[in-house]
Amino acid sequence: MTDILASIEGSALAVWTRESPSIWGYPTILTLHTFGLAFVVGANAVVNFALLGFAPRIPIPTLRQLFPIMWWAFALNFVTGVLLFMSDATTKAGQWVFYVKLALIAVALFVARSESKALRRQGDAVVNVPANLRTLALVSLVVWTGAIVAGRLLAYL
Amino acid sequence: MVDVNSFVQWLGATPVATWLNQSTWIWPFCETLHFIGLTLVLGITGFFDLRLMGFFRRVSVAAARDLMPLALAGFAINLLTGLVFLTALPAQYAHNRVWWFKVGFLMLAGLNALLYETTLSAKVLALEPHADTPRSVKLIGLVSLASWLAVLYCGRMLPFLGDAY
Repeated sequence: MTDILASIEGSALAVWTRESPSIWGYPTILTLHTFGLAFVVGANAVVNFALLGFAPRIPIPTLRQLFPIMWWAFALNFVTGVLLFMSDATTKAGQWVFYVKLALIAVALFVARSESKALRRQGDAVVNVPANLRTLALVSLVVWTGAIVAGRLLAYL
Repeated sequence: MVDVNSFVQWLGATPVATWLNQSTWIWPFCETLHFIGLTLVLGITGFFDLRLMGFFRRVSVAAARDLMPLALAGFAINLLTGLVFLTALPAQYAHNRVWWFKVGFLMLAGLNALLYETTLSAKVLALEPHADTPRSVKLIGLVSLASWLAVLYCGRMLPFLGDAY
């Protein structure tokens, strides 16, 4: 396992990500990861606070339109996240909080997919938000917040 | 005119600054809150800006505006935690060109919002729920969205573009 991680970290792509003096290397990859975070968790906040009743005048079916923003921003963060991991694979793979972050993101994606499905099933006629959708909304907000906390702790633990 | 250098020296020497620098966990704690706050500001404001620009027309501007208190809460978190960073390491920010750009974009976002609230908001709220917005309002939305993205860019790139880290 250590061998694999070391070879990932020593690969040309990882070395470039970590060591290139170019502004388009590490700084831009990290910044794109932050933009992706803002879009994923930001769009997610709009959806979930609306489901929880913070803006009752927003028609619930229209929230479906925000999911594509989340999926595209997540794709960006998957790619930039893989690059950031590769550039520091041996360290990151040894940090327990890294696995906590991955697990929280997995749960968050599963919740988002369940919400998206539930909203599609309900079609355009939704008036009240069913209780299970409210629960998912709350879980989603908590889990994404946890993922941010875990992500930040990666730099400190 | 306040002299930036003497202000930086004074702030960095305050007991609060010393206390912040001696703590191991205040910085990571505030930084994490700063990230949570930014998702609220960018997400909620971005959604409202997009509506002003004419997207999400099935949501009325008034309905999209209902979420704005959350964006203000996010901004309050980020203003407070940002002041913690500034107090702890004033030289790192005040001597950094990119930090001043960030402050500039924050002011642009603020003035743009003030302009909207004082001149256009009432007219827009009176529009039919699904109506398109006038061009002036679209421009307000675009300026807001662009300035917040620029704030995020300057903040994240501070250690890489700046000259005093």
